[in-house]
Amino acid sequence: MVMPPDHRLAAVLIVGSVTYLLGAFQISVPEGQYAAVGPRLFPLVIGLGLLTSAVSIGVSATAEVRLPPVHWGVAASCALAFLVYIAALAVVGYLPATAVFLVLQSRLLGSRDWARDLIVSVAITVSVYGVFRLLLGLSLPAGLLG
Amino acid sequence: MGVTLGTAVGVLPGIGPALTISLLLPLTFGMDPVGAFILFGGIYYGAMYGGSTTSILVRIPGEASSVMTALDGYEMTRQGRGGAALATAAIGSFVAGTFATVMLMLTAPALVELALGFGPTEYFALMVLALTAVGGMTGGAPVKGAFATFLGLAIGTIGIDLQTGQARFTFGVPGLLGGLNVVVVTVGLFAVGEVFWHAATHRVSRETPAPLGGPVRLMGDDWRRSVPAWCRGTLVGFFTGVLPGAGATVASFLAYAVERRVSKTPAAFGHGAIEGVAGPEAANNASAGGSLVPLLALGIPGSGTTAVMLAAFQMYGLQPGPLLFSQESGLIWGLIASLYVSNVLLLVLNLPLIRVWVRLLHVPRSLLFAVVLVFATLGVYSLNNNLFDVAVVYVLGVMAFFMRRHGVPLAPTVLGVVLGPLLEQHFRRAMAISGGDPSVFLTRPVSGTILALTAAVVLVPMLVRVRAARGAPRSPRDSS
Repeated sequence: MVMPPDHRLAAVLIVGSVTYLLGAFQISVPEGQYAAVGPRLFPLVIGLGLLTSAVSIGVSATAEVRLPPVHWGVAASCALAFLVYIAALAVVGYLPATAVFLVLQSRLLGSRDWARDLIVSVAITVSVYGVFRLLLGLSLPAGLLG
Repeated sequence: MGVTLGTAVGVLPGIGPALTISLLLPLTFGMDPVGAFILFGGIYYGAMYGGSTTSILVRIPGEASSVMTALDGYEMTRQGRGGAALATAAIGSFVAGTFATVMLMLTAPALVELALGFGPTEYFALMVLALTAVGGMTGGAPVKGAFATFLGLAIGTIGIDLQTGQARFTFGVPGLLGGLNVVVVTVGLFAVGEVFWHAATHRVSRETPAPLGGPVRLMGDDWRRSVPAWCRGTLVGFFTGVLPGAGATVASFLAYAVERRVSKTPAAFGHGAIEGVAGPEAANNASAGGSLVPLLALGIPGSGTTAVMLAAFQMYGLQPGPLLFSQESGLIWGLIASLYVSNVLLLVLNLPLIRVWVRLLHVPRSLLFAVVLVFATLGVYSLNNNLFDVAVVYVLGVMAFFMRRHGVPLAPTVLGVVLGPLLEQHFRRAMAISGGDPSVFLTRPVSGTILALTAAVVLVPMLVRVRAARGAPRSPRDSS
């Protein structure tokens, strides 16, 4: 027996809302300062709103709702590759990280042509570098080696 | 250039105007604001148009606002009348875009005149209305829309409170002290979330466009049937666009319904009726113009795309609204003038180039999304030159993935993030002026009216639903 998806959703959201509310209570209101509304009121109202709507999602959930099918493997490897890419940017810098990432990512997303992927990836990496660095004068992650 | 890019964006399914503008935000940082906004305006109009091409030829709407176009447009292609369908979409978009821009020119200054008398109380009320309308109307369950709105507001409270200097929800992380940059949030939710979502749901999809039948132009009879449809679609679209929350998708649905109702042969709809293409296509372009009215005149966006545009204004240190109209009138009128130019360019460029756009569909989806990720990363990195922002984008992207999976809309969240800090600021200012008396919001006539309207937006659909639930078994007649 699996829980209806909206119950699972509501459970997660309620936990998140309560966390936010607890955080809101911890905002200290500076004393002795005249202000009609302090920094805590808004977060408290928002927190209550979050909690109320999260609970309503749970209450109005029905078992019939079907979620669209998801290729979990692809999604996870895609997310992982992106995470590794961000880390790689910090270590080896933009050029090598991006070229490798593009090849890898296109394969994960279903491309099956090694030669084409490789050529296009390198071409894109270099042209993006040209536009960002030379044309717009923005800085790109240099990494520890850069 | 904006127009070309916009059309390309419109043609490519899964890549919308909100995503593109947020990706380009960091890149335009070095440009002057006028150039940047002209680019964004072109993208917005272009995307509205570009979505129609794929709807008509392949039955894949490039944007949600082109879903209705696919119904009759694709049928027309199958009957060898694809050229006429494309032509009516292009000319209809041009007519509607031009009319909407004229209306924008006429109505925005009037609204500015009115808004000059607005204080923080009125702005607070307007923002509440915008948030409520967008949260309630972006499709799906209203409770999910409400949650999405509060989530956006919650994200907006992260960082140092500007009035008292208190740190809120920073968890001791120094990178959060300044709050989350709106660009970071939009890129994370729209761009990265979108890529994850497509990766997980559309593994391999290759569609071959149907051959383009017939020349891309309209015959005598097509003109006779298209012109009234354009006019109706334009009116429907413009007013839907001005209203917060409705937007291009709702506009095209409404226009389709209108065409069907006034038609003498409603049965022909869905089987290649040219009105079914002309009306909705005019409507979605007109609504793009309409949605710029509240954005420019009041500084209050009513949709995801305009919320991103507001973020762009803020990035340049500009606050759209009555003041901007008087102080930076060059920028505003430059933007409006460029919308006319975009419209003409759209018509001139697109009719001959339709075959090129169709070829764009052959670009492998895999590579396209990989490039979006790279752009998202670099754009966000170059904002502050730090990788912490990139990590935030990543977290938000994963969050957006789960939100989409569970049918929680993203646009209200972005709107909440953009409007949240302004909302709080106006609220506290109004309270300070009134000496802590909350009744000002109801007793000042304009804000009282707006808040009453907001209550109506929330309550009326609820009452209708309760009545429908109660009345349905007894009188099935009502449900029609």
